[in-house]
Amino acid sequence: MTTGGFHHAMAAHCESGTVASILSHAGLQISEPMVFGISGGIFFGYFESKKFPFPTFVVRNRPGQIRTNLAKRTGVKFTERRFRDPAAGERGLNGLLDEGKPAACQTDFFYMNYLPNHVRVHINVHFIIVVNRKGENYIVSDCYSPSLAEIDRDSLIKARFAGGSFAPHGFLFYPKYLPESIDYKKAIWKGIKSASFMMVKLPMPFLGVKGIRLFARKVLEWPTIARDTEHLSHEIMKINIFLEDQGTGGAGFRFMYATFLREASELLNDPDLLDMSGRIMEIGDRWREISLFAARIGKRRDLGRDRLGELGSMISDRADEEEAFFRDLLALSKKR
Amino acid sequence: MKEKEARVDYREHQLVLYVEKKDGSYGPMRTGSYITKNYIDDYWLKRRNLEKEYLDRVVKGEISPIAYYMVLEELTPSELAARVKIPARRVKKHLSPATFGAVTLDELRRYCEVFSVPLSSMLHALVIRGKTISIREAKTDNPYFSLLKIEAGKK
Repeated sequence: MTTGGFHHAMAAHCESGTVASILSHAGLQISEPMVFGISGGIFFGYFESKKFPFPTFVVRNRPGQIRTNLAKRTGVKFTERRFRDPAAGERGLNGLLDEGKPAACQTDFFYMNYLPNHVRVHINVHFIIVVNRKGENYIVSDCYSPSLAEIDRDSLIKARFAGGSFAPHGFLFYPKYLPESIDYKKAIWKGIKSASFMMVKLPMPFLGVKGIRLFARKVLEWPTIARDTEHLSHEIMKINIFLEDQGTGGAGFRFMYATFLREASELLNDPDLLDMSGRIMEIGDRWREISLFAARIGKRRDLGRDRLGELGSMISDRADEEEAFFRDLLALSKKR
Repeated sequence: MKEKEARVDYREHQLVLYVEKKDGSYGPMRTGSYITKNYIDDYWLKRRNLEKEYLDRVVKGEISPIAYYMVLEELTPSELAARVKIPARRVKKHLSPATFGAVTLDELRRYCEVFSVPLSSMLHALVIRGKTISIREAKTDNPYFSLLKIEAGKK
């Protein structure tokens, strides 16, 4: 495969991994946790909407914000393009590849047919880097694939122009400007401050720590929404997938955030950040207990009111811990 | 999470987790998926049961094939409508066998693109009883035409 010197690496999450990877290729060496942390990626939201067949939750900020917040806080600039029709989108991408420029593309994850069938669902916020063309296929660097992968032209077009929520409209981006030096201290603290604020200060009852508490209460109502026991089991086990498997680096991004805080503490020589890093790592360990518990009770169909109450109580405890953690982190950010 | 707690030997589904390494540093680690390794059989069992239950409902005339695939792909009528690029009220109409006939061939083709199935899947299903034969419908470059592939001696 001709990759124009592009170095493929797996990463925990598609957006932070893609941004880190395409910046590294352009000459800015930055780790995935640093991208995630500076962009204020850590979050929580609990959602019930007619767009979702079942209540769901997110553990990161809005798709696209990792790139936009990072750019805003570091001075990096990206060229971003959207297209009205697939033919123009294909020409736009091919033109870049012909110039030897890999491009990050937003896609519908369902069409990434080099990944196992059971993980592929319709979700329009999957990011990959298209590295080159090979006949009618494209060579892509997908953070979830152990090696560079090939995707056929038809699937890539469908993935880039799928309709629905967060429709990609052929969106692609690549770095156009890298600053000579980055004020990491400023960028890191801005990222920390915004993430902490979002976790503890937003008034909406379904966002941040309030969202975790809502989740803890609402999970008790899930049996009344599910079609039957197997459906309930499936949804409960998806808690594990959302926290561990769906590109979070484990414990709903809490482990990645701990890594960011530790990297930041070393870079800024700040021992307070090292303490906070240890604290969020421990909180993450207890999120992981929730993941394992959800998988176990789902498999056993042990989904009575008592068991779900236990699950809700574990989630509620995480809300208390995260409220204390992010309040302390916010207070710390105001002193810096 | 300690490195050794995160280690899962499962090559079929690899992912990256951030862990506390042996030397006390934090960093990425490539490992296998815990839930896929331990619970994939349960996932496929539930999936097969769901397919059977909803296929029965199609056969009994309770729901249309579009409703069947919509449930399998965990989509809602509004999300499906946005993907097929038709109004949600029209999708709702297509979910019932009584009004499924109002669907146009072009709409059906667009539904099939979302579900990634051949067009013919909207009008019939393959029920395979033998264990040593493989029968499947394969999509072709022609969106209105599929191939029925029968291979003996295969599961």
